Amino acid sequence: MKQLHTRFRVLTLIVLGLLLVAGLYGVYSVNLYGRRWFSNSKNTRYQAAKNNVIAGDIIDRNGVVLATTNADGDRVYQNNLKARRAVVHLLGDRDGNVANGVDSFQANYLLGFETSLAERITSLFSNQTRRGDNVTLTVDSVLCTRIVNAFENGSGTKGKSGAAVVMNYKTGAVIALVSLPVFDPQDISESVKTDARHPFWNRALQSTLAPGSTFKIITTASALENLSGITDYTFNCTGATKVLDQYIHDYNMAQHGKISLERAFTVSCNNAFAQCALMLGDSALRKTAEDFGFNANFLFRDIVVENSVYPTTNRNLVEVAWSGAGQSQIAATPLHMCMVAAAVANDGVMMEPRLLLQVKSPAGVTRLRFSSKEYRRVVTEDIAKTLQSYMLNVVASGTGTAARVSGLTIAGKTGSAEASENGVNTTNAWFVGYIDDDSLPYACCILVEDGGGGGSVAAPIASMIFQYIKDNFATK
Amino acid sequence: MKASQLRAPSRRHPDRRLVSAMMLFFFSAFLLIALKGELRWQGFALAVAVPLLIYIATMWLPRFFPADKLLLSIANFLCGLGVLVLYSTDLDAGTSRGLQQAIYYSVGIAAMLFCILMVRYVRRWRLLIKIIGLGAAGLIALPLAIGTEMNGATNWIRVAGMSLQPSEVVKLALLLVLSYSMSRRHFWPWLIFTGYCLGVLMLQKDLGTALIYYMTALMMYFAATGNLAMTGVGLLGGAGAAVLGYNMFSHVKVRVAIWRNPWMYYEKAGYQIAQILMAIASGGLFGVGLGLGAPRVIPVYYTDCIFAVICEQFGIIFGILVLVMYGILILRGASIAISARHGFHALLAMGVTVMLGVQTFVIIGGVLKLIPLTGVTMPFVSYGGTSLVSCMAMIGLLQGVASVNQDDMEYDYEISRSLSEQEDLPSAGWR
Repeated sequence: MKQLHTRFRVLTLIVLGLLLVAGLYGVYSVNLYGRRWFSNSKNTRYQAAKNNVIAGDIIDRNGVVLATTNADGDRVYQNNLKARRAVVHLLGDRDGNVANGVDSFQANYLLGFETSLAERITSLFSNQTRRGDNVTLTVDSVLCTRIVNAFENGSGTKGKSGAAVVMNYKTGAVIALVSLPVFDPQDISESVKTDARHPFWNRALQSTLAPGSTFKIITTASALENLSGITDYTFNCTGATKVLDQYIHDYNMAQHGKISLERAFTVSCNNAFAQCALMLGDSALRKTAEDFGFNANFLFRDIVVENSVYPTTNRNLVEVAWSGAGQSQIAATPLHMCMVAAAVANDGVMMEPRLLLQVKSPAGVTRLRFSSKEYRRVVTEDIAKTLQSYMLNVVASGTGTAARVSGLTIAGKTGSAEASENGVNTTNAWFVGYIDDDSLPYACCILVEDGGGGGSVAAPIASMIFQYIKDNFATK
Repeated sequence: MKASQLRAPSRRHPDRRLVSAMMLFFFSAFLLIALKGELRWQGFALAVAVPLLIYIATMWLPRFFPADKLLLSIANFLCGLGVLVLYSTDLDAGTSRGLQQAIYYSVGIAAMLFCILMVRYVRRWRLLIKIIGLGAAGLIALPLAIGTEMNGATNWIRVAGMSLQPSEVVKLALLLVLSYSMSRRHFWPWLIFTGYCLGVLMLQKDLGTALIYYMTALMMYFAATGNLAMTGVGLLGGAGAAVLGYNMFSHVKVRVAIWRNPWMYYEKAGYQIAQILMAIASGGLFGVGLGLGAPRVIPVYYTDCIFAVICEQFGIIFGILVLVMYGILILRGASIAISARHGFHALLAMGVTVMLGVQTFVIIGGVLKLIPLTGVTMPFVSYGGTSLVSCMAMIGLLQGVASVNQDDMEYDYEISRSLSEQEDLPSAGWR
């Protein structure tokens, strides 16, 4: 009988343990993903709440009201067409065509789901329609408009799809985030819906594309970390490196001859980086990439972004060699590549991108104030400093000279990533860079799909952004 | 022990405060809905009926035989909660599941009483078990012959205009057969019966119920024999069957795929679990409030997914508390099993406990996306007459064992008292 009772107790513990696991898992997953589940555009609940609650305003860092609710309860945006188009992906539209815009992802604030019980009871007696909280963003909407203008009027970027992200590399505050093409949220025409370029797609957050040569920042970091003496090593670039039965070639078939790592980074030599990747091996390179956030599950508080991928299957030597130059099946979003450049600029510490400056209730209660959060340290400070010097060279004398701004020290890396869309080979232009100045700690990432060379197409837009920051953000 | 310290095992007096709080909770909750917007006579009726039923089941019935008060209170609270949540989802929907569930609840109380009496007064189980076993074997196979398909599983039959789920009723038979044969060290009868039931359930594609049957049988086998090797073999066999089922049936693959990422299949198969997750997330910590929210967008919100509705309306904290209640139910059940004097009673009580626990885990774990969602009911709470009545009957079996235990203890006390009176032993001599 005693043994029977022991077994009864064991069984009871097992069953109780199962229930405990279920409960803990429930709390854990709601805590981690609850916001994302709730603000899903398919959730009919907050759509229904719009009938009972006046949605709060969305305001930019300078006090410009980006979205408000009119007397009829409809969402209205800025009067200026160009201004409201520029932030359409950031905010989202009325019909939920754009995924995870501020209007939907911050719905818990905007529609007053965060109000306390006391506030709800007070509003019950005040006989007024409840108002949601007002959300102030870290974004400079004028800069967003400028970027869209630059895209739409630039000779190499006109009519092209693309994205740009600008963030403070010390705090993680995102000050601009645009996706091209833009559209008017107040008048979504049929042509927008049928546009083959998919204007609803927020490319800054949802497009995972091969980062091309901008990934060489990570290859270099891996080499500095794992290959001692790599700074004194000489690669030999004959214009084509044979791996198995294929050739690794350079953009425009350039030949760089005998070349150091630093020089290879400056001129963006694919052959040297392919050799470098083969010397590192797949696992070492993947490890560094994962340190930089590839294959990580990005669950940021303010922003929903696709995860970046460093492939783990089908890795032959050709794939590994191409990985050194950010090709193969490597894919990253513009936001993530901006974070990569920002992490280098911030001496190896990657900050979590933040979008909310503050959230205030209509009665003036501050619900949330800006706070920065370290995402993770990606490389040591020494390696970050070396990478910084390499990136300074790129803009000073390498492929990124078009990003220069007089009076500022700019560092960066260009990328011209080969992509194949519907069987047509295209080249996506990338540029990531930052201002090397502690008082203007801003990094940016530019992507121009089918743009061609990163140095000639993407870098000039970065230059314009840095010029704007110099003119408007410098403490006087 | 000193003779003076031997106290009569007190009949647990109903914890009046607990039951009063429960009655007040349901009274005010139903009243709240009844007064919301327009006046609803159904709400007023339920505001009186549900507390009354709770009073009858937890305070009045225990006057006639000893009972485990806490166990009764929790089971009845969960039943009342089911009626309440169902009634709140009835509003403006044209359904009257709340009222129906209240009727099932009263039938459940009757079934509970029947089972208590059966355990207390039946002395010759041998023939009865045989009849129950054979009857159950016929009953569970009925849906294959005259069943209707509902939500992908053929496990319902219609009798005289009423739907009946035989697998719910057969659960009771399974518990009786398992505990009777195991307590008499008979191996083949229960193995054949369980194997037969599992086979039929597989044919009906009722995988969730099959899982519950299987886990209950395995755990009871372990409890009865302590044979770790054979339990391990059984566990491996179950895992093997799961792998085989995954590779053989496409709908199992779909279930697993939507479990891993429901959003990817939102338009079709993943819709249900995605809606569940959105409902739970919308409720937040404290819920949107009784009768509010949009529970009806969740497919089968009234049975399988009712836990999501509870979480939406009352919040995840209340959801966790409901889990804790099931936990206490299991602890009480185990304590009754351990106090039982007869092997059959002990195994029966443990079987009921394990079955309720496993079923709770399968459905709540499924709703919380810990395991793939299978269509089983949440004990006591889910809408459905068969399920509610069979759960209350299981509580009846437990209560029956508990009351026999109490009688045994009182009998012991009487003997020891009469002994000490007769011999007038000096108290110091007792150890």
